[in-house]
Amino acid sequence: MASDPMSVNSSAREPPAPPGSGADEPKYGGYTRFELELEFVQALGNPLYLNHLASRKLLSNPAFIAYLDYLQYWSRPPYLKYITYPGPTLKNLELLQQEKFRQDIISPDLVERLRLEGMKAGIDWHRESFPSTA
Amino acid sequence: MDKYLDTRFERVEKALATFIDSIAKYNPSEKLAEDLVAADRELAAGLKELERHQNNHARILQLRQETASLDQQTKDIIGGLWNMRKEVKSTPATQYPATGPKYQFTTHELLNYAKRISRTTLPPAHLLYNSEPSESQQAGGQGGQPMEIDSAAPTPMPGGGGGGTATAAGTPAASAAPTPAASGPSGPGPVTTTTAPFSQPPPPPSANQTALPEDFKPHINLLTGYQFHPWPTEDKVRMGGMAAYQSLVSRAVDPKGYDPEEEERRKKEEEEARKEAEERAIREREEEERRMREERERMARERERARREEAERSGSISGPAAGAPAAAASSAGGGGRSQFTFLDGMDDDDDDDED
Repeated sequence: MASDPMSVNSSAREPPAPPGSGADEPKYGGYTRFELELEFVQALGNPLYLNHLASRKLLSNPAFIAYLDYLQYWSRPPYLKYITYPGPTLKNLELLQQEKFRQDIISPDLVERLRLEGMKAGIDWHRESFPSTA
Repeated sequence: MDKYLDTRFERVEKALATFIDSIAKYNPSEKLAEDLVAADRELAAGLKELERHQNNHARILQLRQETASLDQQTKDIIGGLWNMRKEVKSTPATQYPATGPKYQFTTHELLNYAKRISRTTLPPAHLLYNSEPSESQQAGGQGGQPMEIDSAAPTPMPGGGGGGTATAAGTPAASAAPTPAASGPSGPGPVTTTTAPFSQPPPPPSANQTALPEDFKPHINLLTGYQFHPWPTEDKVRMGGMAAYQSLVSRAVDPKGYDPEEEERRKKEEEEARKEAEERAIREREEEERRMREERERMARERERARREEAERSGSISGPAAGAPAAAASSAGGGGRSQFTFLDGMDDDDDDDED
């Protein structure tokens, strides 16, 4: 999906209806737009995936940037509550709105640091009772 | 107050002076003495009054002091309140984005969400609480092995040097059986050596249970190398809907409106309809065959019966002569009918088929 050829015009759309609001959603390969976009926005939480997107030159594609802007509806209700990886997803969605981050994420060093720090933070924030881990 | 007392003093002095004068003139007067006494009594009352006055004064002073201290206290409190207010006003409260809309949610929704994301945001317990202990466990494990040898070594000490080497050799071999076998021949046979082999075997099993060789541990621990990712891993991305979409695109299928489940269902339905039609055809054919078979059997039976009747009739002498042709005719007629019946049946079948 991410590799689809896109035109700038295709991104200006309304967010898909959340599940339960109407059963008559068109399906794309068996999935609704809601499901696909939810999956995609959460995949953005993975630094390696971002690097993959950058390596395919998508992060400099104006249409893709517009799509990233459009995806920000995930940071608002009623969509917010469907995100099961809230931290990295929303953080990266926010970072991806910045030109500099979109350019820098191509660097393997940055990806590796994001990966390690993200994994460490994912564990550390649960054990504030262990100050020695800081 | 001074004036009040002074007049009394003056009066006493005057009374005293006049009384002394009167005594000096040798003309004491009772009236003068009484005056003096009265003046003195007045003075005493005045002094009492003075005492009361002094007490009151002291009390006034005390009260004044009290009010001053209370005033001070009030001032302090008010000053404190003032400062407090200033501090409260200057405390930076959490800045909610004033422009951003606020969203209502219920505790129930929040708890539901927390429950749902716990699977993907909460690392497994062994990562949370064991990652440091695991390092210390490793250190403890490495420290545990020497300890095990140390604890085993003193046991054979009374037995002799031979027993000691046998245990040291037996412990790394991780088998208790060779230990007594090796120590048996080496021991010359005193009581100390016989107790040593019995006391030696118990420690190795317990030691072996607790101290597994370090390089075994990763193999028995299912969570070895487990990493917690707070985002969807590549596997998940590759198995998800986007991958399905991509595979459709690469198979040159337009994913829009294409639902694999729907397709599957349709295919299945078609398959079922086809199967059902086939089965129905088979059933019809079988039915037809069965009917034809029955018909043939019936014909065979009738023919048999006719043959038997004819045989009976020809065999019986008592039968009337005229009966024979009639019977023959009837049998012929029956045969013809049966033949026609067969044909009728065929016709019927054809009709059925046409229906």
